Amino acid sequence: MSAFRKPGRGAVNTAVSVNFTFDGKKYTGVKGDTLASALIANGVHLMGRSFKYHRPRGPVGAGSEEPNALVVVDRGTGRESVNLRATSVEIFDGMVARSQNSFPNLKFDIGAFNNTFSLFFPAGFYNKTFMWPKSFWDKVYEPFIRNMAGLGPAPTAVDPDSYASSYGHCEVLIVGGGPAGIAAALQAAKSGERVILVDERVKIGGSLIDAPNCEIDGKPAADWLAAAVKTLGKAANVTVMNRTTAIGYYHDNFVALNQRLTDHIANPKDGAPREETHRIRAGKVILAQGAIERPLVFNGNDVPGVMLAGAGQTFLNRYGVAVGHEVAVFTSHDSAYQAAFDLADANIRIPVIIDVRDDIRADLRAEAERRGIDIAAGQVVSKTSGKLRITGLEIYDPQSGAKRTVKCDALLMSGGWTPSLHLWSHSKGGIKWDADMAAYVPDVANENAVCAGACNGDFGIAAALTGGNKAAGGRKSYSVTERDFGTGVTLDSLPNYIKDTKQKAFVDFQNDVTEKDIKLAVREGFKSIEHVKRYTTNGMATDQGKTSNLNALQIASKAVDKPVEKVGLTTFRPPYTPTTFAALIGHCEGKLFDVKRVTPIDPWARERGAVYEPVGNWMRARYFPQEGEDMHAAVRRECVATRESLGIFDASTLGKIEVVGPDAAKFMNLIYSNPWSSLKVGGCRYGLMLNEAGFIYDDGVVGRMAEDRFHVTTTTGGAPRVFRHMEDYLQTEFTDLDVWLTSATEQWSVIALNGPNARKLIEPFVDGIDLSPESFGHMQVRTGKICGVETRLFRVSFSGELGFEINVPSHFGRAVWETLFEAGQPYDITPYGTETMHVLRAEKGFIIVGQDTDGTVTPHDAGLSWAVSKKKKDFVGRRSLKRSDLVAQGRKQLVGLLPEDDSVLLEEGAQIVADPNQALPMTMLGHVTSSYYSDALGRPIAMALVADGFNLNDQTLYVPMPGKTHAVKVTGTAFYDPKGERLNVV
Amino acid sequence: MLFNQAIEIDESLNDDVMRLSLSGERVRYSLRLKPADVAAAKKSSGLKLPAKIGGTSIAAGQTILCLGPQEWLIVALPKSREKLAGTMAKLSADYICSAVEVSHRNLQFTVTGPGAARALNAACPLDLSVDAFPVGKGTRTIFEGAPIVLWRTAEHEFTVEVWRSFAPYLRDFLAKTAKDRHMA
Repeated sequence: MSAFRKPGRGAVNTAVSVNFTFDGKKYTGVKGDTLASALIANGVHLMGRSFKYHRPRGPVGAGSEEPNALVVVDRGTGRESVNLRATSVEIFDGMVARSQNSFPNLKFDIGAFNNTFSLFFPAGFYNKTFMWPKSFWDKVYEPFIRNMAGLGPAPTAVDPDSYASSYGHCEVLIVGGGPAGIAAALQAAKSGERVILVDERVKIGGSLIDAPNCEIDGKPAADWLAAAVKTLGKAANVTVMNRTTAIGYYHDNFVALNQRLTDHIANPKDGAPREETHRIRAGKVILAQGAIERPLVFNGNDVPGVMLAGAGQTFLNRYGVAVGHEVAVFTSHDSAYQAAFDLADANIRIPVIIDVRDDIRADLRAEAERRGIDIAAGQVVSKTSGKLRITGLEIYDPQSGAKRTVKCDALLMSGGWTPSLHLWSHSKGGIKWDADMAAYVPDVANENAVCAGACNGDFGIAAALTGGNKAAGGRKSYSVTERDFGTGVTLDSLPNYIKDTKQKAFVDFQNDVTEKDIKLAVREGFKSIEHVKRYTTNGMATDQGKTSNLNALQIASKAVDKPVEKVGLTTFRPPYTPTTFAALIGHCEGKLFDVKRVTPIDPWARERGAVYEPVGNWMRARYFPQEGEDMHAAVRRECVATRESLGIFDASTLGKIEVVGPDAAKFMNLIYSNPWSSLKVGGCRYGLMLNEAGFIYDDGVVGRMAEDRFHVTTTTGGAPRVFRHMEDYLQTEFTDLDVWLTSATEQWSVIALNGPNARKLIEPFVDGIDLSPESFGHMQVRTGKICGVETRLFRVSFSGELGFEINVPSHFGRAVWETLFEAGQPYDITPYGTETMHVLRAEKGFIIVGQDTDGTVTPHDAGLSWAVSKKKKDFVGRRSLKRSDLVAQGRKQLVGLLPEDDSVLLEEGAQIVADPNQALPMTMLGHVTSSYYSDALGRPIAMALVADGFNLNDQTLYVPMPGKTHAVKVTGTAFYDPKGERLNVV
Repeated sequence: MLFNQAIEIDESLNDDVMRLSLSGERVRYSLRLKPADVAAAKKSSGLKLPAKIGGTSIAAGQTILCLGPQEWLIVALPKSREKLAGTMAKLSADYICSAVEVSHRNLQFTVTGPGAARALNAACPLDLSVDAFPVGKGTRTIFEGAPIVLWRTAEHEFTVEVWRSFAPYLRDFLAKTAKDRHMA
């Protein structure tokens, strides 16, 4: 047992040894240790290097507020966790931990030259220095800063662990399992309602474990706690969640909890979830987060071995570890005396308590005397000695000017306490400045939430228990025997005889911000704390300034000579403590990352080796390569086969909306730009949808199934937003219409057949529909049967060939497809994907919304003026079409482009200019929207949006591309069969 | 023609804690009516249309859920296909309404077992305790990335209707929760 381990103390099991390594060196701790407590038990305080100056650092705290002792825990490839606080990491047998931010090693770090030159690294140093020469930024300055500034190495391997997420509900959620939280849970449990109590540590108890020297209702704190744990454990309506951090508090009492499940286990089952994120909706939230002790800002306060008084007390009482053999105490608050007395009672020598105050409470003075502890009242620590560990300190008496040195191997400090307002502030709860406490405390709640205990500014066990009980609706008053928690003072600046510029008094340990940095920021004109924060980076590290914000605020307030509450308070943001990205993702990784929708015909395409592309959430077959074919070859083959004989295409992803009601036609007239009243039952029409601004929003073919029923199709990707758009107008603008919308996208599988043999193929399978061209012309729809199942058969074409779109109920889709494919063999039926569909439509000049339009294209720009009714008095977008900018000359218009060199395929997105020899920057006329090689035309074709394009017909423009500029001729967009004769093949 | 719902359920989704099963063929209609016609339409059609949003009427072979203002989802066994089609045709003739057949739009699953609610809560944000979501309650809700319709038929028995293409996602999500449970 090491000399720093105090047998019989702490809630650890000293009978069970735990072996681990830190920076390659073997250590032994005990079951229940954190990495920090185990290292301190081995006499090690040096655990990390600071962010900016690479100064040696040890733990300042004993919990999740820790700014200094950040470490890497390495559990193998992909399982390296960085920036973990050694004070929160539970050790397990075989654990491998490393310090970070140090090279070549923790004791000798080359980066510490920053420290030597720290005089030259004041606040804003980077902003001021690395401005010039500009060209140095990318290549020299930024890489250098990034390399130096890294807080832990970013992982590169894929995390093999599994993570979970879930939703939960309760009537009462209690955050924090200290005395206030436990009392609240005990009271709330009585109601029978669902109660969840969460605590970030291994077990609940909080200060009853950290500072157990009190009696509650006549029982020692430990006994009372054990009984409370038992009671809560037995209550069926209470869930106690340990190792669980409430990381964020959102609207309507929605609280995110991060539960760590396996990090403390030596050999977790492979595949067991490592963390779970619980999203809890609570009726009421009781925040019992406690308070965080404030460091004192004095010269040399960052040497390893200098830590918060409460941390020293926690290491002793929770982990049975002495933070040193000779532990000095420096305080401005009564509470540090409790720590000193606890340590003294564990036979740790307390050479001196230095108290900035002149008047010391009589009972504390008497207790110190009884223990033989010297008190230096009205004095301060002016400097510390020791580099990798404190070896002593200098006490300075500002009144007499006297100085003396005291040896020590640890120094406990206390600058008072800061109630934890983090979650309260997430919930937009109000706060107010309490001048006596020199801290912000909760004011008016914004949610059904209440704070209890120290986070409410109520210190001491009795106040916590009573406050917790009251927060849960109780009226119990606990009788507690305890030392009065007491009060303190706050000084804006501690007196010192050493010049300001020679001092290193740290405020933010993690980001290396000193008192003089904050004063400098104020001198340079940053008056608001939000600006001071960003200029100095105070509070911007991973600890969000848990130990530094209030000190920074005090210093800034003094420097600007304004009361604290006028300087402002920086914003608390989730997560409360650093959280893994994986925990935020939860289940939603891998195939659960997002929904991948597939059609009923998809398994067939997959079996045929289709190559896929995502369209919205859908996965669509892009092309069907045969052996040895690349996309280009496959698409050419599919195009030729379709134009020459017969192609089959899965169009099931097209959005379908059934518009039903006596006012269906009226609604269609309002929501589409073209007219619908004249469309007869059994007829189809191309529908063009504009948004309020008059731009093309979506398009699709619509069939009129009955007087009061339309079968609307939308683009694949546009289906959800088109449905919302329609429903929005129906519910807010056209409320007088009797019409309803039903999504039917997935009711129907759609098999598109295109090619001169399309009719011949389906003829034998169709019942109840006369397929002859005379009775079933282009742009008609019929209902009947195909292959024995119900069908809505559309005669439409997106390829320019004779085409049918066969709608069949989805669960029959694959069977019908397979039947037709089999029967199509005599016609060399060829399955094709979206790429061929794109080529075929481009040859016809049909647009794809979102490819040839970009949200700024009007119907006229796209050559679709014919689809805008001149007679209708109203439709969505109609008024906007008359706006001066939409009718102006010179707008970008959709034209065709034919490259002069017919071996050139223009790049989609390439810019277009009139004169390739003009000076840079050139005037860009527009860009290529679609570009393909067309076998039907024996040449490449393209569509483009070009300024004043309709007036440039037959003119030559230029498309600069990498390596060469290509001349192109402007044409119309109907490249192939402009008269549409191929539709009428018999 | 082969009726093919094209989804398989792994054995890991079948234990004493939670079981996911796929229902067979169903006939489905989405029915919308004007408020003033509801009472008369109920009477003439014989359909037990629940009055309140979230209400269901669950009878042998036919479940009706009220999903929104004057919006019902009717889910029936295939044997009532003709009868239901007739009822819908008559309603459409007699009232200003919308009856759209969506039989093939959805797949139906049942999720049963003492761990059913917990498994669903991995992705569904509703409070699925029996107090908050009693037997007979049904609603349109979300299952993380998938819209679903969910109703409770017993303390440990839920029915989920999901659009066909979202079904594999729902299944895979529940499989992940089952795997986590087996590992933990």
